[in-house]
Amino acid sequence: MNDCHTTTVATRPFFIRQNMPLIALAGQPNVGKSTLFNLLTGLNQHVGNWPGKTVERRDGTCSVDGHQYGVVDLPGTYSLTANSPEEIIAREFVLREEPDVVVAVVNAANLERSLYLVAELIALPSPLVVALNMMDVATQEGIHVEPEVLQAALGVPVVPMTATRSTGARELICVVQETLDAHSAGAPHLPEIRADHRQVLAEIAQHIAGHVPQPYPAAWVALKLLEGDVEITRTMKTALSPDKWEAAHAVLRQHDDALLAIASGRYEWIGRMVRAAVVQPKIGQVSLTKQLDEWAAHPFWGLVILAGILGLVFWLTFTVGSPVQNWLATRIVGGLSNLAGQLLENTTFWLKGLIVNGVLGGAGAVITFVPIMVIFFAAFGLLEDLGYMARAAYVMDNLMHLMGLHGKSFLPLFLGFGCNVPAIMGTRVIDSKQSRLLTTLIAPLVPCTARMAVVAFLAPAFFGPRALIVSWGLVLFSLMILVLSGSVLNKVIFKGQRSAFIMEMPLYHLPNTRTIGVLVWQRSLSFLKKAGTNILAMSVVIWALSVLPGGDLNHSYLVQFGKFIEPVGRWMGFDWRLTVALITSFPAKENAIATLGVIFGNSPNAGLVQTLTSTFSTATGLSFLVTTMLFIPCMATVAVIRQETNSWGWTLLNIALFLVISITAGAGVYHLALAIGL
Amino acid sequence: MLEQLVKEIRAGGTLETRVLATHLSTSPRLVQAMLEHLQRAGVIRSYVNCGEGCQGCGLSEACNTQRHSTVPLWQSEPLD
Repeated sequence: MNDCHTTTVATRPFFIRQNMPLIALAGQPNVGKSTLFNLLTGLNQHVGNWPGKTVERRDGTCSVDGHQYGVVDLPGTYSLTANSPEEIIAREFVLREEPDVVVAVVNAANLERSLYLVAELIALPSPLVVALNMMDVATQEGIHVEPEVLQAALGVPVVPMTATRSTGARELICVVQETLDAHSAGAPHLPEIRADHRQVLAEIAQHIAGHVPQPYPAAWVALKLLEGDVEITRTMKTALSPDKWEAAHAVLRQHDDALLAIASGRYEWIGRMVRAAVVQPKIGQVSLTKQLDEWAAHPFWGLVILAGILGLVFWLTFTVGSPVQNWLATRIVGGLSNLAGQLLENTTFWLKGLIVNGVLGGAGAVITFVPIMVIFFAAFGLLEDLGYMARAAYVMDNLMHLMGLHGKSFLPLFLGFGCNVPAIMGTRVIDSKQSRLLTTLIAPLVPCTARMAVVAFLAPAFFGPRALIVSWGLVLFSLMILVLSGSVLNKVIFKGQRSAFIMEMPLYHLPNTRTIGVLVWQRSLSFLKKAGTNILAMSVVIWALSVLPGGDLNHSYLVQFGKFIEPVGRWMGFDWRLTVALITSFPAKENAIATLGVIFGNSPNAGLVQTLTSTFSTATGLSFLVTTMLFIPCMATVAVIRQETNSWGWTLLNIALFLVISITAGAGVYHLALAIGL
Repeated sequence: MLEQLVKEIRAGGTLETRVLATHLSTSPRLVQAMLEHLQRAGVIRSYVNCGEGCQGCGLSEACNTQRHSTVPLWQSEPLD
């Protein structure tokens, strides 16, 4: 804004005061205050520090239509309470220097946040002009602000502008000049405090009357005392005689809740201003979100919808993913095994075994997971991008509260659906050590993506067309065990502690296919990396144990180990093979499939799924799935539990707890399934 | 209004800004402004992300403040 530039060099405020009107620019951080200052002053500005502070001070001059003005850029502040050096500087400047006009720069796109400072400035003696900045952003966000209506509601001039586009600055200075010409602060509409506190305010004003040091206004000092402002309290303690101070302090002590009452009055005032002058954005999107959330975030129907969505994800997996997975297993991995077997026919037995049974049988079987994982990743990515995942966590937490679980376990629960490792890390948000430990104990009961993928792979083998309902039931069963365990632990240790967790759910919006595509690609790549490293290594180890020492499976270390632990597996209907598969899922859940792949090998005519179908009964299959869902967390999760609890005792207790839960549930389900003839 | 919000927070549980706005007969944006006020006053604190805990998490993006699917979270400070 070229008109605003003078040829004089910027000077200190006291010098400016002698020659020209002084404008103070006040505002919260990030409302474009400095941009406006630069626009007004151009090169005619001086940068230094506020006396005795390390806070940057900027002042300068500008001229419009032959009028010259001194301009001071006050530090960005949210309020005029003595919470920070910036806030003290801003209010001391306004009160002591008495600028001719204070310009409050506000963000038109977020008046709810910006107007709090205005609510404080409007009560001070200096005339106030509101610069309604960032009008372009408000328009972009669909927020329609009516400056004339806001002006009428506030009772002070309001000037719409966009400092970044150099629009509105000249009009602002013109309004400043009109305010200066009027020699009046206008008739501002001030925030009010509750009636009972008004009486208290009058009482304090009475106690301090005649003792308030210049230049502070007595009414403002009384209000700040009631707010518990540290600086003003110190000042008045010095200014008043001990008797007077004791009398005023006695009133203040009885009303230590006044801080909230005063701030509350200001927010009610802000609410009135915004209701009057702002048309809220994207009404369609907001009302759609509201309508959808009446169901999706409902304590009961929200759970029904969540269960339905989980069912839909499994249905998609079995309808689309499983046939592709079967094709990959029989045609690609099976075909490759066959081909490798023929090519390596004349090589050493261990090389052929390693490639065919170890690598292709183990890691190859896990790679056939990819279609299932892609569907999971895409489904959860879609739900996340749609804005639904936050609702899922919210309704789950409602359920947990009904069961007496602590609200703070919300975040670990939310994270646990992806992976239990960050879920355990997420327990850091809990202050109480006991609560943190308990949440750490139960967080791995949230079924992670890896466990759900194992279920999605194995369920069709044991249940054919009923795989969908079984998988869905397994997830719900797992969550039910979580709620039950949490309820018991909560009653024993939390003992009714209550604190709040506040979340802001995003608006529903159309998902972005590119975002979901990138997400699926990155996660699939990460899964393949895991299959090519950890799972491949584990497959080779399992294969080695299955052939050592003599090259015969029946006399191998693996079988010896399996037979040794088989008695425990028998409780759940497992033979040694399933027992070993379960144990090898400890390093990574997907290893259960890799191990079964190594043990059963691959054939060009029947993939692992078909082999399992013909080998195990339905009762055994169900028991294996239940036990896998509830089995001890993977090695990475256990390592994080050790790290977060800093205790082997708690880590071992966690392992023991999951062993007891999984074996008890597995054995119970197995015997129940046998009893009903499965 | 702020007093009512503090009462709701001190009652505990999991709260959602839109539901709070309905309870307080105001807009979610004003509730967010008040939550930020309470955060500055030390009544609640916010979580931007889960730090290194997010590594490998399928939902880590939900905590990324730069995205539209951001889920801002606050937690009340323990009462003395």
